[in-house]
Amino acid sequence: MNPPVKRAIPTAVVALIAILIPLFLNDKTFYVQTVLSAVVVVGLSLFMGYAGQASLGQGAFVAIGALTVAVSTVSFNVPPLIALIAAPLISAGLAYVLGLPLLRLRGHYLAFGTLAVLLLVGALMGGVPILGGGAGIVGIPSLGIGSLVVTGQLFFAYLALAVLAVTMVVSRNVISSRFGRGVRAVAGSESAAASSGVPVLRTKLAVFALAGGCAGLVGGITAFFIPYVSAESFPPSMSFTYVIMAVIGGLGTLWGGVVGAVLVSVLVQALNTISNVPGTPPIVGTILQYAAYAIILILFLLYMPRGLWPTVGDAVKRRLAKRVKGSQTDYSDQHA
Amino acid sequence: MLNLEDVIIRYGFATAVDGVSISVEKGEMVALVGPNGAGKSSIVNAISGVIPVASGTITVDGASAQVPEGRQMFANMSVDDNLRLGAWRVKDRNPAAIYELLPDLARMKDQKAGTLSGGQQQMVAVGRALMAGPDLLLVDELSLGLAPLIVADLANYLTELNASRGMTILLIEQEVDLAFRMCARAYVLEAGRIVASGASATLAADPQLSAAYLGGIEASADRKRLK
Amino acid sequence: MNALLIYVVSGITIGATYALIGSGFVVVHRVTHVVNFTQGTLAVFGGLISYSLLSFSIPHGLAEALAVVLTGLIGLVFAFVTIGKKGTPPLTALLITLGLSILSEGIFVTIWGQSPIAPEGLDGATIILGASIENQRLLTAGISAVAFILLGIFFGRTYLGKGMTAAASNPRAAALVGIDSRRMGFIAFAIAGMLGGLAGVVTAPFSPISFSSDLPLALGGFAAAVFGGLSSPWLTVVGGLVLGIGGQLVAGYFGGSYQTVAALVMLLVVMIARHKSLSAEEAK
Repeated sequence: MNPPVKRAIPTAVVALIAILIPLFLNDKTFYVQTVLSAVVVVGLSLFMGYAGQASLGQGAFVAIGALTVAVSTVSFNVPPLIALIAAPLISAGLAYVLGLPLLRLRGHYLAFGTLAVLLLVGALMGGVPILGGGAGIVGIPSLGIGSLVVTGQLFFAYLALAVLAVTMVVSRNVISSRFGRGVRAVAGSESAAASSGVPVLRTKLAVFALAGGCAGLVGGITAFFIPYVSAESFPPSMSFTYVIMAVIGGLGTLWGGVVGAVLVSVLVQALNTISNVPGTPPIVGTILQYAAYAIILILFLLYMPRGLWPTVGDAVKRRLAKRVKGSQTDYSDQHA
Repeated sequence: MLNLEDVIIRYGFATAVDGVSISVEKGEMVALVGPNGAGKSSIVNAISGVIPVASGTITVDGASAQVPEGRQMFANMSVDDNLRLGAWRVKDRNPAAIYELLPDLARMKDQKAGTLSGGQQQMVAVGRALMAGPDLLLVDELSLGLAPLIVADLANYLTELNASRGMTILLIEQEVDLAFRMCARAYVLEAGRIVASGASATLAADPQLSAAYLGGIEASADRKRLK
Repeated sequence: MNALLIYVVSGITIGATYALIGSGFVVVHRVTHVVNFTQGTLAVFGGLISYSLLSFSIPHGLAEALAVVLTGLIGLVFAFVTIGKKGTPPLTALLITLGLSILSEGIFVTIWGQSPIAPEGLDGATIILGASIENQRLLTAGISAVAFILLGIFFGRTYLGKGMTAAASNPRAAALVGIDSRRMGFIAFAIAGMLGGLAGVVTAPFSPISFSSDLPLALGGFAAAVFGGLSSPWLTVVGGLVLGIGGQLVAGYFGGSYQTVAALVMLLVVMIARHKSLSAEEAK
């Protein structure tokens, strides 16, 4: 069996499992939300990994995508499919506009900047009538073309999965393209990249817009999946969760984003379930949900800063290399 | 006073200093010369304790203080504050003694260090190092970016410090002629290794050495003509 | 005229809170180049601890002072986690402080519950220029002013303060002279903790705080600090006052719900407008 086919096997297995799972689930909400958060995190992880900055308010772009769908379909009778296509475009556009001034600065400005935009959008959603006016936007029509309309959750499960697959393929191609080489150069050393003629700001902007677009698309799909959009749907804690997923999974890697999203979603769900067991004092729930979660994040940041996917991947690679090469140690993937 | 034995310094996987041994006796003024990137600053920073050595030993008989490359002022603070901060590790923080030694500094004491000229800053840097009351003074690239007259003044001052007060000095210099004039003994460092050492006069007179490491006889003749 | 004066005065007190929190950001950032996300969290600690100490019948003045000191210690603990390990890059440190703020929210809910809490403050009001102004607000303004003056004296005139400034100004020379940058960072966090704690202590009596107050307080403080480019304490005070007074005026004339919007917009506008000068500051 030749190497590329061999390497595709684990991916194929994972894809197969992912396709089969929804068929066995009664309530596919958790599945859909996990897969969609993976889409957001893949984009975010790429941005954080390559631009070296954090977006603490990535939910802002999810919200903008959801709002695009909600407002355009409810208030302006835009056909659902068009609204869905508009969602990632508008979010990517907002990301570009925001990134233009803020990406020139050190990381913390963008971090707080996106957080401010998130809260601003939330405040506007709470105050401006057309954006929900505090009560939220209801009555979003079903996704469909003309008379062909989507019913049931299974469609969304596979739509989310397809979007994730496309996102990963697109991102992978972006990174391995000539543009991607510039992105990787910026990640390695900005000054070196700049002196080699890589347009640093434009590169970061492009990755940021890509991440914003992913988030916007997720927002748009969510607006159809749960046809109610309000400020409460996009709390800051959700944006922090995206960052946590990206960090734990492994910044700047595609599968890291997926691993992080799945693991953290499962972890949060597990903690939730444990604290809801009848007879458990509410304090346990609080401790689990805040403290355990935060401590795990801090431990990861301090002791496994590269995240699970790269660390595990490296360990596996080293084991395989040792088996093949005997006592020869492979320095090729160590960096100073 | 100062003893380096087989010191190896690494940055990641690059070896900057590869088994260097140097010794300086109390009261001596010794030069460490060599081209840019030879590893001189690494050695000096290791002696000062700000970077670790991968292997080998460094022993200093007492305390050392460094006059860093590029002066490294606390730019927004006054000359007086810069001097006082030099005494961070010791009890006596009064710069009066330094003002006596360097009366020019007293005149500038309330000026912000960032507004001073290169030569004045170099004087502050020397004064700041002396505030720590060191037994060994490490001077890293004294002449960098300074006009020859200013350098000559500072050089005289350091020579005086060594001659009359017996201060042990290790002088790191790219400017080979300056180094040989000030110091009776020298080490030549190239690509992390000592390639020659001994009396400055002997080293200067060796044509092969000059050609290979010290810029060539033509270059040193050029330098003499410019002065 | 009466209404305007009241808006300005309450604006000053809120602004003082933001300025105190913002100063905390500035102190930590100048010395460690880390943006400490827990600045808002520390303010909440200050307010809640002060409330608890008062409820244990510890007298006024002592309870608040103790709360400030304890919050300083909490700041120190945060420092150990955030910068204790050598070689933690600033982005990671920011995320660690984010984790610490989430952890603290759990602590807040566990110990103090979810409802907003307002510790007892000064009663009564004084008539100034024909307007009735709560005494607690006057106290806040006064204490904040004293705090800023002390901060200025600390950094400008004490040896330790100068050492910390030096560590920020030229880390290389500071290391040579023997200044331990990590230790200076710990002290910076402790000072920031006390500043944040003080903010919480003085503000909680008229603006009840709870576990969810940390984010808006942090954002307000950050906005004030950005005014000063995350490095000038005096501009931070100005920024806080602009934010506070501006916010109150907006709330007074346009309705309360727009106060947050005003603060967020100001933050974004300042960052975007000053981005050229901010990046020049950072490059120094």
